[in-house]
Amino acid sequence: MKASRLATIFALALLLAAFGTSAWRLISRGAAEIDPNVEVIRFAHWQLEPGVREAFDAIAAEYMARHPHVRVDQIPIPGRVWRQWLNTQLVGGMAPDLIALATYNNPDDMLARYFTPLSAWLEEPNPYNADEPDLADLPWRRTYSAELVPVEGVHYHSTNLLEYFGVPNAMVTVRVFYNRDLMREIVGDVPPPRTFREFADLCETIARFSTERRRPLLPLAGSVFNITRFTDGLFHSATQRFAMELDHNLDLNHTQLESLKALVRREWDLASPPIRQSLRLVEELGRHMPAGWMQLDREDSMMQFAQGRAVMIATGTWDAGGLMLESPFAVGAFPMPEIGADDPEFGEWSLGPVSEANIFASLSLGLTRTSRHPERAIDFLRFLTSRRGNQMFSEISTWLPVIKGVAVPEVSEPFRPVVDGYPFGVNLRALGGRAHDLFVQHLHLLSGQQADVDVFVATVNAPLLRSGREELARYTRTTHENIRQNDSALLGRGVPTPPEERAHSRFDRLAALQLTLEARRQEALHTLRTAPPAP
Amino acid sequence: MSRRLLTLLLLACALPLRPVAAPPGATTTEDWGLLAGLMFSEAETAFATAAATGDRWARLGHAAALLNHPPVTPRKINRVAEALRALLAQASDDEPALFARYLLARVAHVHQTTPPAEVEAAYRALLDTAPHVVAQLAATRLAPLLIYEREDLTPTEGLAAAAALIPRADRPDLPELSVAFYRVLAGGALYHRLADERTLAWLRRAAEIGSTDPLTATTVHVQIAELARAQGDEALAAHHYRRFLATAVPTDQRYRLVRERLAELAPPQEPRP
Repeated sequence: MKASRLATIFALALLLAAFGTSAWRLISRGAAEIDPNVEVIRFAHWQLEPGVREAFDAIAAEYMARHPHVRVDQIPIPGRVWRQWLNTQLVGGMAPDLIALATYNNPDDMLARYFTPLSAWLEEPNPYNADEPDLADLPWRRTYSAELVPVEGVHYHSTNLLEYFGVPNAMVTVRVFYNRDLMREIVGDVPPPRTFREFADLCETIARFSTERRRPLLPLAGSVFNITRFTDGLFHSATQRFAMELDHNLDLNHTQLESLKALVRREWDLASPPIRQSLRLVEELGRHMPAGWMQLDREDSMMQFAQGRAVMIATGTWDAGGLMLESPFAVGAFPMPEIGADDPEFGEWSLGPVSEANIFASLSLGLTRTSRHPERAIDFLRFLTSRRGNQMFSEISTWLPVIKGVAVPEVSEPFRPVVDGYPFGVNLRALGGRAHDLFVQHLHLLSGQQADVDVFVATVNAPLLRSGREELARYTRTTHENIRQNDSALLGRGVPTPPEERAHSRFDRLAALQLTLEARRQEALHTLRTAPPAP
Repeated sequence: MSRRLLTLLLLACALPLRPVAAPPGATTTEDWGLLAGLMFSEAETAFATAAATGDRWARLGHAAALLNHPPVTPRKINRVAEALRALLAQASDDEPALFARYLLARVAHVHQTTPPAEVEAAYRALLDTAPHVVAQLAATRLAPLLIYEREDLTPTEGLAAAAALIPRADRPDLPELSVAFYRVLAGGALYHRLADERTLAWLRRAAEIGSTDPLTATTVHVQIAELARAQGDEALAAHHYRRFLATAVPTDQRYRLVRERLAELAPPQEPRP
């Protein structure tokens, strides 16, 4: 009786303490926010990987030390609830000042309604670079390594709205991470594999080591997420020359749309030599995968690696911090193995290393229209993406820097993008949602000891041709939506612009963009009308 | 003279030098901004009041907003067409009327299912409004229709018909649009496997006009160089490969390939004019 009473009292005390702490935090926070002498800047993102929050905190601390009347609060939100959280915050009018942007989370209408265009600010110098002679006079946009060229699909710019909405902070690449201790034990102190042939030999050696020592070891940690990072690299590398053949508009920039149109026109299919050759590469990789690997998810494969059951894992450098922190061994990394143009077996359609130079900057923060201190928020963004801020971010997070002249930290050196490479080739998985599903659902035909490219081609070819038509038709529908909306937007741009100011104005640029989209759509429709029917 | 008066005088002197972008009629810059920002519901509400007073610009803005007012329905689109026709019935030659005629052609082409011949007629009727900007807009929109939609024309005929629009489409009013127009012509020729000397001339004209969009500007150089190389004009190819290398950001993933293609060409010569 006495014990149960004590327990009740303890529970009540705990409850009161929790309530008291929460109330105190709420009151003290509220007091700071209504303190007219304190400007509070809140920024939210979903990058919970180790190192990112710490980097933001350190930069915020330095900014606050420079500006004692400012408080910067970081709001990390788990990715699984990000969209719900984002919608609630925006619709409720209580969004933080700065929010992480991504094209798949922030459609144009959301950007237009809730975010402030940043184009004008990006054309001004960043005052926090005033002591950097090479950056001091450059517009903020041009202080970025890739100068934020507004390519379609980037997270920081809206092609339809012709405005920058985000300020990126980092860059990521895909690498093969490896257990240095295990690797040394198995092959000694040799450099990591550079070519696919060397990589395949290494997998073979690891498999032999595992059998001979009776130690259950996988060469490569498996999950659809991780293995498809690897197969993407193989396709990109092994089909570069072929992509140039499909580059009908001669801009040396082969696109998904060009692949699709050529597929529908039957200029290629899975039996085409370069594609079959890429599938053979996947088959060779697949032979080293254990049965049932496709049932594993991303967390499982990370666990396989961290527990020392797999020697290597292919993933984005966003996972680097976590892998290094959670693995009880030294972790190394190397770029995706190349298919050299001189490779006698797989090099016929390759040009050489795949360029990662234009991997666009990520972790973009956008300014919400409801921000109470927009100028202050912009000032914080300027500090965050100054050479000093970006250096701090990169050093603490291990993510790659995006600002010119910022040194890549030693630990991130293997993540440095391949700049002097060639455009990438045709990737089956990138041909749209249905093609991705087809590839992944039938990947088992290219994996294990029964792997067989011929069976894969015979099974998947016809459905892929059908999916090509579906995907191209879907493209015409989504583009139609854009074109339709731009009819209204064009008047919105054109009517208030005086005739003498129209040249090169946003009206002019939108008119050009709409025409380009319209021609592309008509081309796709023409292809669908005139191409042979799918089997 | 008071300071206030002096300021007013200075302002008055400055006015003719830089025209102020005053919103037309009873509309405001913010109303058109809502339309430009794809905020169609808000724009529809904003224009509705002024449109009810009969202001012609507001009626045009209201029709443009209603065109994409969610949910978009055939009934709303019919209402837009009726509203635009009513605007034209009242007066057919002022500026709101010209924009209304253009929007009506777009409604027929993009928002409703209309036979290509009727759409073409609507666009062609606007070509005579030159030098107004809607003539350039109409000419450029007509080009893809001729190249891809007119099933009664062969690709060669379609391209020739589209190229005949050059005098209306290549205008200094909207140079970015002119560049896009030439690229549409060239794209049509490349798509139909009809690339020839004329295609090269179109792309060269696009490069000559120039675009402020860095990606468009550099891509035109690559296209000219690649096409010139295919046609055996190595001097021209080398010239535009070099222009690409001089203007593209080094992080453009085509950089190395272009460098190597340039190196593969014979020693440089000056391109012919």
